[in-house]
Amino acid sequence: MWRYVLKRVLLALPVLLGVSVVVFVAIRLIPGDPAQIMAGQAATEEVVRQIRQSLGLDQPLPVQYLYFLRNVVRGDLGRSLFNGAPVVEELGQRFPRTVRLALASIVVASLIGVPAGILAATRHLSWLDTLVMLVALVGVSMPVFWLGLNLILVFSVRLQWVPAFGYETWRHLLLPSVTLGAASAAIVARMTRSSMLEVLGQDYIRTARAKGLAERVVVNRHALRNALIPVVTVLGLQLGTLLSGAVLTETVFAWPGIGRLLVDAVLARDYPIIQGATLLIAATFVALNLAVDLLYGLLDPRIRYE
Amino acid sequence: MLNKSGAGESTSKGGWSVRSLLLVSVAAVLAVAVGLPAAGGPATSAPQAGGTLIIGRGVDSVTLSPYASASPDAEVISHVAETLYQLTPEGRIEPLLAERLPQMSPDGRSMTIRLRRGIRFHDGTPFDAAAVKWNFDFILNPENRAPFRAILLGEVTGVDVVDAYTVRLNLRRPFVPLLAHLTHDFLAIHSPTAVQRAGGMRPPTGEPYGRQPVGTGPFRFREWVRGDRIVLERNPDYWGPRKPLLDQVVFRAIPDDGARVLALEGGQIHVAVRVPPRETTRLALNRALRIDRTSSVRTIYIAFNNQKPPFTDARVRQAFNYAVNKRAIVQTVLGGAARVSDAPISPGIVGYAPIQPGGWPYDVDRAKRLLAEAGHGGGLNVTLLHPTGRYVQDAAVAAAVQAQLRAAGINARLQTMEWAAYLSFTNQPVDRTPVEMFMLGWGTVTGDADYGLFSLFHSSQWAPAGFNRFFYRNPQVDQLLEEARAITDPARRAATYKQAMELIWRDAPWLFLHSESQVTGLRREVQGLVVHPTERVLAHTAWLAR
Repeated sequence: MWRYVLKRVLLALPVLLGVSVVVFVAIRLIPGDPAQIMAGQAATEEVVRQIRQSLGLDQPLPVQYLYFLRNVVRGDLGRSLFNGAPVVEELGQRFPRTVRLALASIVVASLIGVPAGILAATRHLSWLDTLVMLVALVGVSMPVFWLGLNLILVFSVRLQWVPAFGYETWRHLLLPSVTLGAASAAIVARMTRSSMLEVLGQDYIRTARAKGLAERVVVNRHALRNALIPVVTVLGLQLGTLLSGAVLTETVFAWPGIGRLLVDAVLARDYPIIQGATLLIAATFVALNLAVDLLYGLLDPRIRYE
Repeated sequence: MLNKSGAGESTSKGGWSVRSLLLVSVAAVLAVAVGLPAAGGPATSAPQAGGTLIIGRGVDSVTLSPYASASPDAEVISHVAETLYQLTPEGRIEPLLAERLPQMSPDGRSMTIRLRRGIRFHDGTPFDAAAVKWNFDFILNPENRAPFRAILLGEVTGVDVVDAYTVRLNLRRPFVPLLAHLTHDFLAIHSPTAVQRAGGMRPPTGEPYGRQPVGTGPFRFREWVRGDRIVLERNPDYWGPRKPLLDQVVFRAIPDDGARVLALEGGQIHVAVRVPPRETTRLALNRALRIDRTSSVRTIYIAFNNQKPPFTDARVRQAFNYAVNKRAIVQTVLGGAARVSDAPISPGIVGYAPIQPGGWPYDVDRAKRLLAEAGHGGGLNVTLLHPTGRYVQDAAVAAAVQAQLRAAGINARLQTMEWAAYLSFTNQPVDRTPVEMFMLGWGTVTGDADYGLFSLFHSSQWAPAGFNRFFYRNPQVDQLLEEARAITDPARRAATYKQAMELIWRDAPWLFLHSESQVTGLRREVQGLVVHPTERVLAHTAWLAR
């Protein structure tokens, strides 16, 4: 298995390289000059030119890229064009906050989605099943913004149970993780339900029932473990999406994570931050995919990696 | 005795039915509630020390060094580092770190400033002429690339130390607006020792000193968590006569307008800046809150490309002004939180005078006549470029303008782009730019007309060298603006600016719109907070009533 892991890691390198090239070129092609933005409306052309020069933006593109690559290998992702802070430092501060939020949201999504899906599957075609699917549909269709603001209004402003914004304590985590988790929960619920239904229709389940086992045992011991395999995949992919920073949630709750960092950086044309953040997110995705595949192998004994 | 058969049907001993009892008690409660004086904390009681004031704004600062370039930076800097002179909210210039107003030499080419004595920076080093010179030298040195050097200190050639507490600024030629420029927070005096100890200030962002400023102000810098909050703490040794009362001032960044308002309602922040106009009606009903409306020095306008037909014809430009009902836009789109422009700059600025009281008249028929005269009787097709989310309700204002222009036979196509791209797009030189009409704002943050007029209307300032992005040229105006820079007599100077503005108004290089109002939400216990027309919330003399 370790050879497999090594192979995957080596394959990741060209992927990351490709990502870095695409991002590097793309952000420099879109209109908007970071030197102009930094200098502000009132600055003269002379000042803008000087800023551009001091940032090395007047060099030809391939030269800029090679500098970037050389620095990345040394572990230096450069400095923010906008405030001069080292990119590694900014990412190091912001990314863990997004990780906390993403993990909490996945927990919420699992705690709500999996039992809901099982319930729907075991009560297939009953009113409970329809209800769960309806709620799931609403959950997936609800705009994150709307849900977040309403949760703040009810639980923070009116009931004063939790703070409206900020990220310091576990209480701050509640509303944003529910907001983010809601949409994921809906997807997880649907996936769990369909996977359970498929497994429950298998022959070995029929055998288990024929043996006289209690339904609860049939579901929990025989069906669930196999049904959860695709659910794990979905959860892993959801986590990947969440880790790339749920910008809307981070904006509504003033959660200073990597999503907002990236969007603000794009709006300000802060090239080093954009490059560093996308590289980090791409690497995370790759790692997460690998983890999910390995987990898959653990759960399903039929799968072996060479 | 109550009958079990139902409320309202039975009566108790005194002749009161349950239902009427209920109605009376509800009415009584309502009467008491309504009759209560506007609750919301104690009335004007004496100022109390202590507490932490939390101010919610939409963005975080970028740098707190002289490399700052926007008002969120100036706002925080002004609490920590002070300028030689300050601009009061009413538009007066008063000495701050200077002892008194400066002395000008007869030829107007040197300004002597006497500094206050006995002041120390937060790091204990003394504030003196050497420190002032150090700060100015830094900015004046072109190698340091301070972004505002040319605009604020363009005419200054150097600074001399006359004695321990006197400095002299030497000028290339007389430049009266210099005093107003000295009130600008980007020229605040920082501790030279602190800058060196922090490792200096590197262009273009002033790192690393820019992260932890040290000045002479009523508050000391404590902490900055980027993207989240800046914490300032009281300076117990503040030299000024009005000592700071708050223990701490915290600036928090809450980007979403709605979330910021909710945080105010929930009591998590004390002050919310830039409250959207649509929220004010609802918030006004909340007894725990107060809405403050202060004018801003920011003028919003739609500029024409004065060098591109059809806008080369003054009649067309004037027609557009007649066709738009600015009052209606201010009332409906902006909820009354703006002031229709009656001059190219906003009130409160030295040199302002109302050029057309009430603003450009709304007269659709006159607009159509002018267009016909100019040969566009059959209608006109133009493209109106506007930003989205940069100014208050900018997209909605553009849509309203478009709708109104239609009545005059003008078909305006709206085009928007994101701010960074917008800045570049509208900054192209005259021979390359495709832009016909575009919306922009300009804040005359020095409080002096020169900054708002010369930078925009002088023909030497054509983009991309300067900020005259609409390529206006009037040699008479040029001359008047140049002259005004050297006139020391305030009355004569004001008259010169008035003359220049009258010419500009008649030329109509813009569709004059409005000056923004700042709508700030405050919890009632906040007292003494100043919302300054230069778009800064100042907590120097603020306190929290309990």
